[in-house]
Amino acid sequence: HRFGSFQRLKAAVHYTVGCLCQDVAENKEVQFSKQTIAAIAEITFRQCENFAKDLEMFARHAKRSTVTTEDVKLLARRSNSLLKYITQKSDELISSNMEQKEKK
Amino acid sequence: ERRSSSLQHKSALFSCVTDKKQIHGHESWSLSPEEYEIWDRLYRIKESDGVKELILPQVPFETLENLEEISKHEEETTHELSLSEWRIWQNRPFPTSMVDHSDRCYHFISVMEMIELMRHEQGDCSYELEIQPHLRIEDVHVQRKKSHLSMINST
Repeated sequence: HRFGSFQRLKAAVHYTVGCLCQDVAENKEVQFSKQTIAAIAEITFRQCENFAKDLEMFARHAKRSTVTTEDVKLLARRSNSLLKYITQKSDELISSNMEQKEKK
Repeated sequence: ERRSSSLQHKSALFSCVTDKKQIHGHESWSLSPEEYEIWDRLYRIKESDGVKELILPQVPFETLENLEEISKHEEETTHELSLSEWRIWQNRPFPTSMVDHSDRCYHFISVMEMIELMRHEQGDCSYELEIQPHLRIEDVHVQRKKSHLSMINST
């Protein structure tokens, strides 16, 4: 049963990776082979495991059991460019959440 | 047997270094004149060595604005260490000494093996054929673009 849900998750990742690669292919006017898309999908799937384990440890390190955006930012710590991008997205999310709350 | 003796040898080396430091009362961060002399004579790369200076690759983000300063090195005087030159060796774990391979490392090895197995495929992709029957459309964010949907319909 566990294998089946793994396959289902992999299929969803593979589909979404395919869509994203198609956007890139159109923008850059290049083509990806099916095997390249499959490899990116498998890397993405496995990277989720790395991320999930790190996020859990970061939260625990701060004595929390709930993962927050601060933990997610730590995943991006190795590159200033990536950290800046993720921080901006996080700020955007927070302000749009605040707006929605105000409307209610 | 050999292993323990080499470990003893190593610890002897370390104690030799610490002993020396104690003798010289050398507590600053930098090399002492004696240490500098040893480094300069034995380890420092000089022009006369005929070897290029080693640098690590700095890879810019293709899809982001890059904040990091990427310094351009002259190719003639430097050798950039490559992480892809020996890729055909990387579909199996390399030997370890004291530090085990990490999960991340095993993921890398597995994907290199998967790529190796797909290398000679033409057209149809075995991964896609195996995985696609498990797709449930409610799991994915369906895009507006028609071309994306044709991916499912075509199989």
